[in-house]
Amino acid sequence: MYDSSLLRSVQKPGRYSGGEYGQIIKDKEKVKARFAFCFPDSYEIGMSNLGMRILYGVLNQSDDVWCERVFAPWQDMTAKLREKNILLTAHESGDNVRDFDFLGFTLQYEMCYTNILNVLELSGIPLKAEDRGEEFPIVIGGGPCAVNPEPIAEFFDLFNIGEGEEMLPEIVALYIKMKESGATKKEFLLEAARTISGVYVPSLYDVEYNEDGTIKSYKPNAEGVPTSVKKRIVADLDTMYFPEAVVMPYLETVQDRIMLEVFRGCIRGCRFCQAGMIYRPVREKSPETLLRQAKCIYEATGYEEISLTSLSISDYTKLPELTDGLIEWTNEKKVNLSLPSLRIDSFTKELMEKVASVRASSITFAPEAGTQRLRDVINKNVTEEDLMRSASIAFGSGKEQVKLYFMNGLPTETDEDIEGIAKLAKATIEQFYATPGHSRRAPGVTVSVSCFVPKPFTPFQWEAQDTVDELVRKQQYLRTCITDRKIKYHHHDARVSHIEAVLALGDRRLSKALLLAHERGFGFDAWDEYFDAEAWMKVFADSGIDTAFYANRRRADDEVLPWDIIDVGVTKEFLLREKKKAYEEKTTPSCREQCSGCGANCLGGKDTCCPNSKK
Amino acid sequence: MLSEFKKISDYPLLETPATIRLGFYKKGALQYISHLDLQRTFQRILSRAELPLWYTQGFNPHPKLVFGLPLPIGCESVCEMADIKLTRDMPAEDILARLHKATVADLDFFACYPADRKFADIDGALYEYNIECDVDDEMLEKIDRVLSNSPLTVLKHTKSGDKEVDIFPLIKSFKLEKLEGGLKITALLAAGSNQNLSSEYLLEALRKRLIFLREEENYSIKRLSIHDAKGKIFK
Repeated sequence: MYDSSLLRSVQKPGRYSGGEYGQIIKDKEKVKARFAFCFPDSYEIGMSNLGMRILYGVLNQSDDVWCERVFAPWQDMTAKLREKNILLTAHESGDNVRDFDFLGFTLQYEMCYTNILNVLELSGIPLKAEDRGEEFPIVIGGGPCAVNPEPIAEFFDLFNIGEGEEMLPEIVALYIKMKESGATKKEFLLEAARTISGVYVPSLYDVEYNEDGTIKSYKPNAEGVPTSVKKRIVADLDTMYFPEAVVMPYLETVQDRIMLEVFRGCIRGCRFCQAGMIYRPVREKSPETLLRQAKCIYEATGYEEISLTSLSISDYTKLPELTDGLIEWTNEKKVNLSLPSLRIDSFTKELMEKVASVRASSITFAPEAGTQRLRDVINKNVTEEDLMRSASIAFGSGKEQVKLYFMNGLPTETDEDIEGIAKLAKATIEQFYATPGHSRRAPGVTVSVSCFVPKPFTPFQWEAQDTVDELVRKQQYLRTCITDRKIKYHHHDARVSHIEAVLALGDRRLSKALLLAHERGFGFDAWDEYFDAEAWMKVFADSGIDTAFYANRRRADDEVLPWDIIDVGVTKEFLLREKKKAYEEKTTPSCREQCSGCGANCLGGKDTCCPNSKK
Repeated sequence: MLSEFKKISDYPLLETPATIRLGFYKKGALQYISHLDLQRTFQRILSRAELPLWYTQGFNPHPKLVFGLPLPIGCESVCEMADIKLTRDMPAEDILARLHKATVADLDFFACYPADRKFADIDGALYEYNIECDVDDEMLEKIDRVLSNSPLTVLKHTKSGDKEVDIFPLIKSFKLEKLEGGLKITALLAAGSNQNLSSEYLLEALRKRLIFLREEENYSIKRLSIHDAKGKIFK
């Protein structure tokens, strides 16, 4: 642990002091590999992450491996560590991160990239992979942003593409074997790339560019390395590792509850949604497995809430069985059930009553777009009637607050679609008054509008994002359309979304800008209080990067994309088909209604709805 | 998880729920956990221990949980107390065994007995300060003089802003000892709902007047015991 004088001098010292119930302590002399698992954001955010909980448990299953946690120290702590020249330490042992065998980062959102560089620097680890000798940890990354790891490729030795439950232990086992036989880091990386499916070692590929700045080619520079890296999945979720004990944070975290992962993937195929594409194929856990796991994790944690986690919970085929089974004991134990991500076309009174946590007066729906035309373009497949029916159920059972999520800047959006958002909010207010038995309190609708960011591996990956000016104009226009004072309106900062687009769609040349941002002291850019749009734009300008080239340029269908080196299962042909259908305003049925041939069935998987999936 | 213990349903139900006082430590890493976070942590410990808790009967049922005297962040303690209410008659050692299994060593429980005195009787708390620093006899004398003279004002941080407060009347007694490489102060400070002096302010008062204690100094504060108005140990 850090000195008491240091801990006393920062806000929330509990972020750094460790000692949680459930943390795993091992004898460092008896393990063969030490793994520092970093969530590059604050402790409270990182401790809320389900992926980290799972992989921490998976790695620690092996007696040969000790996995510990690392978080990005908050800005006050970062300043103190720098000022006093104290190295960053891992949470469990308090040993320097620099002395570990691995430093792994989970890549959940682009705006945490500057924190990664801070963690490396504070650990005393050279930022660029090529500058790190044998004495430094192997730096590896995984998680959703790893599907386009190119903007941060220079800082990493290796990426995990896809699900880590099986891949990560394989990587560490190979490392132990090769270390014992005296192999170098370079030899290990080459062997991992050759033999472990899902491993991407960026240094083993050379990139060539065209004169217009687009990519000409990716070529492996070593033999036996795959020409594209196929995503790993875990085939059977019922037998997959599940963390039955978790580390219990003392501080209040964002997800301070049991997260029960019900299934992976999503049958829907909304065309803007990256998660809906990259986690395919859909795989479900059985209710028996889930009920057993829920009970077990409740006993090990004492949490007072269980959240059923997945991309779209109402698409779980055995939802009534699961919720009924849970309610059998949760009511008695005074444990709340929560179902985030409910779709408005499946919202029922029965479902709401099961999960009704009495105090919550607000309920959230995500129509995403203001008109049916635009909802068809994005393949959201919900209607205004769905929303009115759902709102009516909520109002009828005493709720008076509804939150509606939308997006600005979607492909083909016109001012009419923006007016549609205001109209839909207004109609929701009217629905309140039209609902018999509505609350006596005044209704309220909160409209929350984010900005569309084109993401890799979606049908909209070729799209140009609206410029910041255009997004701001649309945001202001929407404000003029909202006249009812019962409607509250929030929107995201368009400048953040612009930078997100650059980092999401970028290539290896962006590392220059990230290095400069780091030199200038950037960090915690996902936090409003630290995000500085002007400073970011200056960083890009000073590193000779035209952000419009990445964010606001429409890409040709046959352009080589930075993430073409990765194969997530969903094919480019499918994505192009979907893009074409979007412009024709045609929808695609869900996987369960009809297979649309996305290609993800080539990855296999048990309990999927894919035809001919490799069992 | 608790399968090795006697089943809860095998303990007899009580006619009226019993208020049980738990004595616990708060040490090491746990000293950095705030009172609010401790309350939430307790709820989960109690839940993991599967104790037969009595719940409030309101709209939003929650277990009864009352702490004796909040402990500030950065202060350890070997004498914390909290009251819970149980619906069944359980021997103390069974309660303690279950709690022990559900918590960490730095927040472990050492006592369990019926609560017969009200926390309102708490009047003082004894603290031990161990400060890593070089002190000579001259400095020791200076410290003694500072703590023995009224007024001893410090800037107190309250919700309504900072204000100057004389803490002299709140220091009931103190003792100074020179140790190898450090200084030990033992002080009985006013505590409880009537008048309360948070342990850090004593150091704050010294820091303001003497240069031996700087911000970079490592030190520890430990609450040793809790007292009533007669100066006797409160349990």
